[in-house]
Amino acid sequence: MNWSFMAQNAHFFVNAAYVTVFISFFGVVFAILIGVVCAALEVSHVPILSPVTRGYIELSRNTPLLVQLYFLYFGLPKLGISWSAQTCAVVGLAFLGGSYMAEAMRGGLEAVPRIQRESARVLGFSPRQTLTHIILPQALSSAIPGVVANVIFLVKESSVVSAIALADVMYVTKDLMGISYDTYESLALLIITYLIILLPISVIGTVLERRFDYARR
Amino acid sequence: MTDGQENRLEAGRESAGTLGPTGSARSMEPLRSSGTTDPEGRTGVGQRSVLEVEHLVKQYPGADVPVLNDISFRIPKGKVFVVLGPSGSGKSTLLRTIAGLEPIQGGRILLDGRTVESGDASKGVRAPRGNRVSGTRSTDLRTRIGMVFQSYDLFPNKTVLDNVTMAPVLVQKRSRDEARKEALELLDRVGLADRKDAWPNELSGGQRQRVAICRALILHPEIMLFDEVTAALDPEMVREVLQVILELADQGLTMMIVTHEMAFARGIADHIVLLDRGSLVEESDDPERFFTDPATERARQFLSTFTYERRRGDGVGEQAHQAGQGNV
Repeated sequence: MNWSFMAQNAHFFVNAAYVTVFISFFGVVFAILIGVVCAALEVSHVPILSPVTRGYIELSRNTPLLVQLYFLYFGLPKLGISWSAQTCAVVGLAFLGGSYMAEAMRGGLEAVPRIQRESARVLGFSPRQTLTHIILPQALSSAIPGVVANVIFLVKESSVVSAIALADVMYVTKDLMGISYDTYESLALLIITYLIILLPISVIGTVLERRFDYARR
Repeated sequence: MTDGQENRLEAGRESAGTLGPTGSARSMEPLRSSGTTDPEGRTGVGQRSVLEVEHLVKQYPGADVPVLNDISFRIPKGKVFVVLGPSGSGKSTLLRTIAGLEPIQGGRILLDGRTVESGDASKGVRAPRGNRVSGTRSTDLRTRIGMVFQSYDLFPNKTVLDNVTMAPVLVQKRSRDEARKEALELLDRVGLADRKDAWPNELSGGQRQRVAICRALILHPEIMLFDEVTAALDPEMVREVLQVILELADQGLTMMIVTHEMAFARGIADHIVLLDRGSLVEESDDPERFFTDPATERARQFLSTFTYERRRGDGVGEQAHQAGQGNV
């Protein structure tokens, strides 16, 4: 192991990590927003919109992110829409993550037992009160593990954006390997970088799961 | 926790007798033993009915036969009305229609002489609107009928105290302090004041059901519906819940109880009915008589399922299934 090589080139990974974190963060935020809207549409059985939502979810989760990014980066310009690589990366992650988030949140909503709704009704709660005080908090509790897993998944998937020439950590690693042939050290730096980004997310996720786990508390 | 909580608890204990949901100021009496009648001698004929059900028909869409067929009865104020019957006879559905959780296809349900729900048989079976339950009842109307379910229905995302105070604060717009005070008094009455900050999942099944009873009582319903509230409990927890219900009966709360606990039914009932395949097959104002000498063969048969006897050598096949021993 060439330690001095690793020490000399670590700063490339710091800059690249900003890119990875930046696109992951916005990708995840938009994915969650899309997920909330889609989950709500799915469980409420709105005519037209609910089937459209279903179609989006199936399209999104049954096509590879790489293909989605190629479409956004190389395909859309042919239709006259040119986005920066960064925009394409965020949109791609949100498009993919949206369906995963929607499914996790739908699962949470459907996990709330029917009797909870009925108890609230017998107590005189309005549908809105039932939703905000009973259904949503409990749905959140069951959805958190899935949502956290999706966040981690999306951050890792962001490595694919190197394919559209965005200088994330994966891109920098490939560059470094090509220039130096220190493959082993470069990949070690890459792994360390991902762990530094992802371990805190993992820990926060576990804390959130515990905090909102009404069933075990 | 506010200051003076201890005082409130103390006050709650002293004034427990005034907490009866019907406003009865009778002081809390010791638990009544099974089988005795109320010392106050609940009057029967001529008293106003809290709940009246007339020719109720309930049929699910697509079903050939109704779940409930032409059910009629009335429950006078302060009376305990017990519904017995085998599984699938429609007992729970009956309670659910009265609570407004299921639309009805025929007949009427009256609360205090006012129609709260009616079904038109000529219109046939209405298709349910989405996943919703019939949504015609006003909030006020819904809070006047309290219900406790078989399975644990406490809100797991709220503490015991919040479970009890939520409805009075959110629905009846009562002040938080006042709701809290009454909740603590009620919890104290069922022996759970010290668990007020616990989460539902930290409680035993029997404790949860007692909290559920408090949660319904705090709204001061005119009638309480109990849907097999001990069916999911371990045997040793059954008693702690049933004793609470017995106390409520003694305080003059009008109740409709679906149960499989025969000894409890016998001890608490003022009026007892047997439901079988959606119809009332026997009604009795004399629970003791119902259990020892039922009028119908169906009732005899039903009660015999609660007795166990061995076939001894002599009199093979001569099974003495005495319904009178249905006091399990």
